[in-house]
Parts: sequence; C-alpha cells; structure tokens
Amino acid sequence: MSGAREKKRAKKMRNQPASVTLPAEPGPFPAGGSRACPPPGDVRSEGLLQYQQQKFLHQSPGTSYRKDQYFPKGQNRGGRGRGRGGWQGGCQSASEEMPKYITASTFAQARAAEINAMLKAVAQKSSNSLVFQTLPRHMRRRAMSHSIKRLPRRLHEIARKEAEKAVHQKKEQSKTKCRKARRRHINLVAEFNRRQRKNIWLETHIWHAKRFHMIKKWGYCLADRPTEKSYRACYRAMTKHCLLQDLSYYCCLELNGEENELLKQLARICSPDTGLMFGAEFCLSGRFEGSLNLYRADHYPEDMLGPVTFIWKPKDGSENRQLWIWMHPALKQDILNELKEIFQCSEPEEICIPEPFTTLIQEEKQTDVAVSLGKKRKKEDKDGEKAVPVKKIIGDGTRDPLQPYSWTSPATGIVISDQSMEILRYRLIGPLSHSVLTETLKAAALQTEMADSETELNNWWVENCKDSEKVSLHQQQTAIFELLEGISSPAEVPAGTILGLTVGDPRVNLPKKKTKAMPDPEKYRDYDKVRQLFLEGVPVGCAHSFIWDHDICKNVTENKISEQDLNHMRGQLLVPGSQLDLGPCESKIPVLLVQQPGKMAGEDRPGWGSGWDICLPKGWGMAFWIPFIYRGVRVGGLQESLKHSEYKRTPHTPNDYPDCPAGIQFAKELENSLLEKFKRRPPAKRANYVKLGTLSPFLCPWGQLTKNWEERLKASGEFVCPSFPHTESCATKGQSLCDPKPEVVKEASPETGEVEQTMEISSEGALMTEDVAGTQGFGEGDETMTRSIFIVLRSEKLLMQLSAWCYPTSGKDRRDRLVSRLGQKEMTEHALLPILMSYPRAIVWVNLSLLRKGNPELHAMICIPTEEDFLHLSKDQLFCGPQEPKHCDIFKHKIQKLKRKKKKKEEEEEDVKALESDPPGISDKEITEEHKDLILGLWSDPLPDVTSHCSRTLLGYVTRGDFSLAAGCGEALGFVSLTGLLHMLHRQPTDKKGLVLLRTPASLQYRFARLNIEV
Amino acid sequence: MVRFKNRYVLCEVVSEDPRCRQCIEDRAVGLAVREAIARAHGDYGLACCCVSFTVKYLNAYTGTVLLRCRKDFYRLLCSALPLVRQLESRNQRYPCYFNTLHVGGTIRTCQKFLIQYNRRQLLMLLQNCTNEEERRSIRQSVLSCSLTEEQSQSGDEEDDDDTETD
Repeated sequence: MSGAREKKRAKKMRNQPASVTLPAEPGPFPAGGSRACPPPGDVRSEGLLQYQQQKFLHQSPGTSYRKDQYFPKGQNRGGRGRGRGGWQGGCQSASEEMPKYITASTFAQARAAEINAMLKAVAQKSSNSLVFQTLPRHMRRRAMSHSIKRLPRRLHEIARKEAEKAVHQKKEQSKTKCRKARRRHINLVAEFNRRQRKNIWLETHIWHAKRFHMIKKWGYCLADRPTEKSYRACYRAMTKHCLLQDLSYYCCLELNGEENELLKQLARICSPDTGLMFGAEFCLSGRFEGSLNLYRADHYPEDMLGPVTFIWKPKDGSENRQLWIWMHPALKQDILNELKEIFQCSEPEEICIPEPFTTLIQEEKQTDVAVSLGKKRKKEDKDGEKAVPVKKIIGDGTRDPLQPYSWTSPATGIVISDQSMEILRYRLIGPLSHSVLTETLKAAALQTEMADSETELNNWWVENCKDSEKVSLHQQQTAIFELLEGISSPAEVPAGTILGLTVGDPRVNLPKKKTKAMPDPEKYRDYDKVRQLFLEGVPVGCAHSFIWDHDICKNVTENKISEQDLNHMRGQLLVPGSQLDLGPCESKIPVLLVQQPGKMAGEDRPGWGSGWDICLPKGWGMAFWIPFIYRGVRVGGLQESLKHSEYKRTPHTPNDYPDCPAGIQFAKELENSLLEKFKRRPPAKRANYVKLGTLSPFLCPWGQLTKNWEERLKASGEFVCPSFPHTESCATKGQSLCDPKPEVVKEASPETGEVEQTMEISSEGALMTEDVAGTQGFGEGDETMTRSIFIVLRSEKLLMQLSAWCYPTSGKDRRDRLVSRLGQKEMTEHALLPILMSYPRAIVWVNLSLLRKGNPELHAMICIPTEEDFLHLSKDQLFCGPQEPKHCDIFKHKIQKLKRKKKKKEEEEEDVKALESDPPGISDKEITEEHKDLILGLWSDPLPDVTSHCSRTLLGYVTRGDFSLAAGCGEALGFVSLTGLLHMLHRQPTDKKGLVLLRTPASLQYRFARLNIEV
Repeated sequence: MVRFKNRYVLCEVVSEDPRCRQCIEDRAVGLAVREAIARAHGDYGLACCCVSFTVKYLNAYTGTVLLRCRKDFYRLLCSALPLVRQLESRNQRYPCYFNTLHVGGTIRTCQKFLIQYNRRQLLMLLQNCTNEEERRSIRQSVLSCSLTEEQSQSGDEEDDDDTETD
C-alpha cells in the first residue's frame, strides 16, 4: 500500500525543484585547490550535452541511472531531486579563493538556471485533474470533456493525450449494430438466447433482472435479493400477507414404473428412523406431498445425499406409478447418479423413451418454423443480414439435444427422466396466500366443442369434458378450491395437501390496478365443509391433475396465446377496459397446488410461514407471475428464502447439510469468499482471530470437533462401563431404544458394529477396552482417508429424547408431559451410554435463542458455561456473560520474520535490477508462495484441540444467526457435538439445563443462550 | 474537508561575504530563523510558528529561500525575519540578512513570482552592464533560459509516456 502511495507522491513531486546547496566541503581549511572548476560556459555545455544524452537514452527508466546523470558530483541532498536537470551552471567558486566581487555572468547563469527549474515546476498542471478542470470557470465550455476542440488551443495537445488514455481504459463496446437494431425484437430474442446458453434463465428472468441483484449459482441465473430496501417488508409479507418466490430452479426427477419395484429400491436410500419413507400410506395415495432425507443406498446414517420432497401421481388403476422427486439443483447430480445406480438404469435408450424423442421432434419443428420465419424476414431485410432462426427458449436453454435426459432399466422397465425446467414451481408464503390464489385463478369453464377445428388448442379439454366422470371430478376440485377462500390460514389445511386443478387463462381477469388480495369474510359460508376439509384433507380423486400428462403439458405450452394477440383483442373490445371474454378460445391450464406446512416443530408460532406451491407447465411462467404481482404479493429472492427457513428454524439446503457433498462444497466456497474478503482489508484493520481465540472463523471444522470430543470422553474416563455384563445389557437396551432395526445400524456404521462385535466376543473388560481402542485407532486411520468422519443425527426418536432432556425443570410439568408421552427415561448413565456408543461422532441440529443481549453471527461458537458463570448469573440478573481472556498471537513473530526476510530479498533484487535492469524477478513468486500459508490474524493449519482452546469448552458452531424479527431476540441455528451435548446435560443442574454460552468469532464476549432441539 | 492553509514566504539571503553561500542549507536556515523568532516573540511565538514550519526550497547560488508557515502565524514569522543576522554551519558563521521578496498562499504562486523576479533581475543586469564581454554572456544566459524551457517541456512529455507504459 505504502509503495503505491510513495509512487504517486514521487510522480507528483518529480517536477518540483529540489533545494540546491553548494557541494559539501570536507572542512573549513582550504582544500578546494584540487577541485577543478571548469569555466562556466563549459559547464553549461556539459549540462546540455548530458541532457541530450538522457533524451536519447530515455528508454531505461531506472532511478539510479537518473541519479548518475543528474548528480555526478554527489550533491543529491534532497534525495528526490529530479527536476533540476542541467542547471548546475554556477557550480564554481566554492573554494576559499573566491573573488571579492561577483562576476555578472555567473550571477546571470544562476538566475537563468533557477528560472528554468521554476518554469518546469509551474508548467506542470496540478496532479490529479483533467486539463479542462484546471481552467478557470469562465473559460469552461459545455462538453469540454467530450470534444477537445472546445478547449483553448494551447491545451489541445495535453487533452488529446488524456482522451487517448481514457479510451484505453474503457472497455470496447461491441457496437456492431445501432441501438435501434439491437432492440428490435428478433435481435433481442437472439441475444437473450445466446446469453442463456451458459446459465439457465428462469422464465421470470427479465422481470427479476430489472428488480433484483442476480447471481449465477448452480448453473442458473437466480435472483438474490431485491435492489430496493425490503428486508423488513419481506418479513411482514411473510407474516401478514404473501411472499412470492420463483422456485422453478428446483429440479424434478420423474420415476416411472411398477409400484412394488419402485418402493423396494427406494427403501434402500432412506430410513424410517428419520421420519417418512417413500411408501408412507398417505403419500402413496397421492393426496399428500412428503419430504425426507436421502442417503446413499444402504449407508444410513452416513453418506447423506440431501433432502427431497416427493409426490406420487394418484392411482389410476394400472400398476405403473409415476413419482416426482423434487430437489435442490445442488443435490441433483448426486441423487440422480444414486437413483440410476439402484435402479440399474445405466443405458439411455432414446428410441423407446418418449421424452427426449418428442423434444427432438419438437425442436425440429421449431427450427422449421423459425427457418421459414427467418426467410420471410430475410426478404424484408435489405441489408442481407444473416437471418438467425430465432425462437424464444422455453425451458432449459443449456440442454444439449443429443444428451439423454431419461434412462430406463432393462430388467424392471423403470424409467427415470430428468424433468427440470419442464415444470415451473412458484411458492407463495404467508397467511393470505390462498386469497391470492383464489383471486388469481379461476377454474376452467367446461367446453364441449372445439373453438377451431384446425388448431390443437384445448382439444384435450374438450375430449375430457365429454367424459361425465371427469367432469364431476373437475367440479369437485373446483368446489374445494373455492372452499379455500373460507379458511383463515393455509396452515389449517393438513400439511402437504395436494390439489389438482384446471384453470383458465389468468391474464384474462387481470385487475386494472395493482390491488391487495384480502379474504372476504362473507365467504365463510360452508363452515362444516371447511372443517371437513381441515380434518380429512382433500378427497383422493381431487389430487389428480392433467399436469402429469406430458402430451397435455406440451399441447398447453405450444398453444399459448401470445401476449401480443391478447392485447390486440383487448384493444378491439367495444367498451375499453371491460372484461375480455375469449369464450372457447381461452386456454385451459392444468396446475397442481401443494400446501407447504409452516413451522411445525417447537411451541411458538405454530404454522408460521405456511403457504402454497403452484406447479405449472412450462411456458406459462409470466402469464401467471404478473397476475400474482397484481394481487399485491411481494417477491423475494434467495436471501428471503434463507430468512424464511431461519425463522422456521429448519435447515436450509445446501447451507445446513454439512454431511452431504453439496453442503461440503458450499462450505468450501463460503470459506474462500470470506477469506478473500478478510484479505482485502489492510492488516491493521482486520480482526486478529488468533488473539480472539477463534480457531476457524470462516468454516466449521465438524470432523475435528467430533473427533476431539470423542478423545476427550475417552480421556476423562466418564461413562466407561464398570463391568461387562452391565454394558451388554445397556447396549441392547440402547439398540432397542434408538434403533428399531439394529441390523441396519450395524450395516450402516461399520465402526459401531465392530465395537459391538468386540464387546460380544471378548470376555474380560480389560481386553475389551484394548480392542475398542484398537478399532478406534483403525477407524481413525480409515476416516482420514474417507473424509466423512461425522454424521448428522436425524433419528427422530433420539432427537425427541434429547429435546426432552434439554428442557429445564422450570417447565417441569411440560417436561413431564413430554417424558410421559414419549415413554422417555430419566437421564441416567444407563440411558446415555448406548447413545454414546452407537453415535461416537455425531452432531445435532439445535436452535439457540439468546437470553438477553447479543446478536449471533455466522460461525459463532457454542460453548459450555462453567459453574462460576451460573453462580454469577443467579446472583446478578443483568449479567451479560463472561469474557474470554485475550490470547497471545504466537504466529505474529513468525510472520514478521518472514516479512523482514522478504523485504530484504526484495531490496537485494531491486539493487540487482537497478544494476542489470533485469525483468521482474522470479524469486518474488517463490516468496509469495512461501508466505501464503501464514496470514496475520488467522490460525494456520493444523488446528489444535478445538474444544479446549478457549476458557470455555467448545460444543459446536452456529451456521446461521441473526436478530430474529419473528422472535424479537437474537436467534441462532447450528450444530453441536452429540457427545458434548450429553456430557453437558449430564453435569448441569436441573434448573439450568440447556443453557449455553455463545461467542461470535470477532468478539471476546460470551452471551447466555438457551439451547433447544425442536422435533 | 478543509485543508490547513499555509503561507509561503519567499526571501533572499543577502550577504557581503560570498563564502556565506556555503551556509545556505536546510538546517542552518531553519535554525537561524527559529532562533530569530524565539528572540523576537519568545517561547509562545516560537511554538506557534514551528507548527509545520519547514524550509521548502533553497538555492545556494541565488540565495533564494522558501519557507512555509501556518497562515495564522505568518505575521510572527515575517516580523522576525529581519532579525536574522547570521547563518552558522560547520563551525562557520557569516553575517547576512534576509530580504523578504514575496508572501504567497501556494508554492506555485511563489514559483511564478520567482520566475518574474529573476527575469527582471537579468534584464536589469543586462541594462547595467559595462563591458561587451559581460553583455554577451548575460545575453546568452537569458536566451538559454527561454530556450531550454521548450526543450524541458518536450522532455517532460517523454517522461510522461515512460511512466504510463510502466
């Protein structure tokens, strides 16, 4: 930094004259006889000669060279002096034998030289301004910066140079066409298509790009956050009205096949421990959407793949079932590969699979149409420009037509197809989202005759309307949809309810002005029916929708009336502004409504953040988006969905899945970006994390945390079984308690399995412990290679137990109730031991709410309070929390040494360069490489024991934390080590259970927080 | 933001003894001026003037000295300047006095003034010369200073280009 500043200063000062003194004399006694004083004229000419030499040799701009030129006699007092070139005219008569009187010629030469120096200084314009800025105000003219000719002629030359410089800096804009041509529709579409080759655009991209900060993530262009100030407004929309999000980037995989075959294989990649299975009865019927966590086949509880939601197509008589699995795009590749593996769908058979085949045909058709269109254009275009076959890309623009998008298994006939971007998904969050839906969507009118026999428009609907059974189904669906107007919040409907529907074109009944959709109190008419809906959910048949049928979807997408035509028809209305009635021409669109349950776990704010998801066939994105906007919803981006899940206290994909590959990837990226940001600050303005005792401010070392806790437990000797038979009984009990299927666990976690086996085999306690240690050591060796050394505890029963243990006794009856309800045991060693044995390296998802002050941040540390802290807290109600003593920076010395070394080397190099004028050194790079590992203020690898590094024992880390607008206090979400948690709970007094300390990475202050596990 | 405003005092060292020119250097001039201020205005005056007091430029051959001082107290400095009686350096001491030429707000104005002043001096010298040889040499130097001006400017531009390519 200082180097740059010096350079700048040097540039500014180089034209300033330096002070001139007489050449140094060794002493007062006369010695100057030896110094030859050439006659003044000679000196003058010599100076000139030097000057000219310099002019010719000016291509090597080394400073030392200049020094040599200018100060041959060592009179560089000023050091910086450059400006006094060739003025040493009067440098004679420094000796004792000076004449008594001054000769006029030397006097004159000295003056002349000074004039020269001063002229040079004055002629230079002041440093950082452009030429026209130096002009006085009355001489300035409009557009001076644009056109040089507006300046006085004497400044033309300088201005021209400046303008050239500016042009070089500017990026060259491709101005192949004029703006009018670029904005012409056909060219615009071509440009948009080109731009979405690389990253997929959602259909609402243009709308979002005008209003949001866009980021490129997971191969998509996504809206991150609104450009306007809307943090609180979005929260308010979520709690009071409705927040809309475009979730079309979520990927949908479709599985087609026999039900039994599907279920048999799918059971391998999920576990009943964590909650639902694919075969859950209410989901299998197609009435409800389910959500679960996927694991690598038969690897539970290790090798997590990620969370998904799934929808079964309702049964239609045949054995073949259709299943949609929706997932986050970051997880898609892993899950797709795993699915392909378990179903053995390795070969992409394009011929027998309808999906890619049809797309091929479709594309061919599209290009045909486009070519003909292009030809027409070409005739009109007089320029003879290359007519590009242009058609707006609908769906995935990055798809390669040759790449397969569905795979079949030759053995079972199961088809897996990638449906991402084929079906759009919007999410409406908020208590009034059903009002928005009911106002926007109107059920399609029945239609028995074709509008126009030529087009395919609505032909599926007409056929459908001929079947009375289907008509009655449609009427039933419509009736239930209308019932939604009567409910007060979407949370009242059973979680995950699915409602299929066919609606008319939402653009037709667009309000003239943006209005706010409000529930109509008069609609509370069929209270009994509404209650029946709450209790029983939607009847089986109503979950059916035509969106499952690819052909119908394709038909609907292709036969959409364009916006232009619609506006044209509006313009032709007799009464301007009246309702447009398209009659039989109106498109019918099949949609699927899926209820999203809000906050289900925990006790406060039940049902917060509930809403509806709506699935649409592709191509209809904007047609539905704008009508929603006109109902007064607020639109959110990725940040808003992050906040939504934070207030719901649910883990967010992929941030909060540290055990799945996408989560690991995310953590790495986050670390890099945070580190980059940290490095951009000047070293003196950075937080010194070594001094603050923060080992890893940019990532959470889960593996090390769990490992250290395991070692700690072993070292402390706590929970070590006194005698063998007792342990065995404990272990078996534990098995029965935490895992209903012991064999699954044995298979899944080989380490635990080994431990148990050794326990069974060995007869003596001492031998057993030895064996255990041996296997542990072996396990560690393995784990360093396999990387996934920890698991996230997701077993519902265990979490339930833990959550009951976390309650303090102040809510005693509540806890008792919980305990009795679950049939839980009290927390004793008997209960703890099996958990510890079966999950030696697990972390648990917890939420923390601060007792008093404090705003937790990302990667804050969760620590165990000591007994003195509790004592202090009970004495002083306003006690904020203890302070961490300052650590000393043990790396500072090393870094300084390195720096010094580097500096020395650089200096040497500079000297060398000055002498030989070498090209920039190679050794420079070496130094930086050497230097890279040590950054001031960061702990360099490897980390020491993370748990015991600070004065309070570390329990876990916060992955998301902020002031919660919903709870009104600081709230944090994170993971803690299971071993550590049990250790802490076991030791804490009953009325202080679940109290922990929280410390943000850049602070020494601990704050009290309450730890909760919500199941 | 408001910058600190300074006054720049351009003065000339006048001495009988040509050897005095040896003493014209940063430290000696600064010390002498400070001493004079201390004598005239005491400790308070010295402290007032010493804030940002420096010798910005001096030229031993012409005896020009440029001093900087805060705007608020430049009067103290100006009033003390006539009291400088001698310059001392390297155990040598020569009597001299300071002749204030110009007081300006920026270095640039002082430089401009100096150019004019020197020109005037040269012209006066030219008018007053007695013999032909002197007249010739002076004329030559007058011409040289105007000639080198253009040259130096062109050289300046070339330097500019160098730094840009760096």
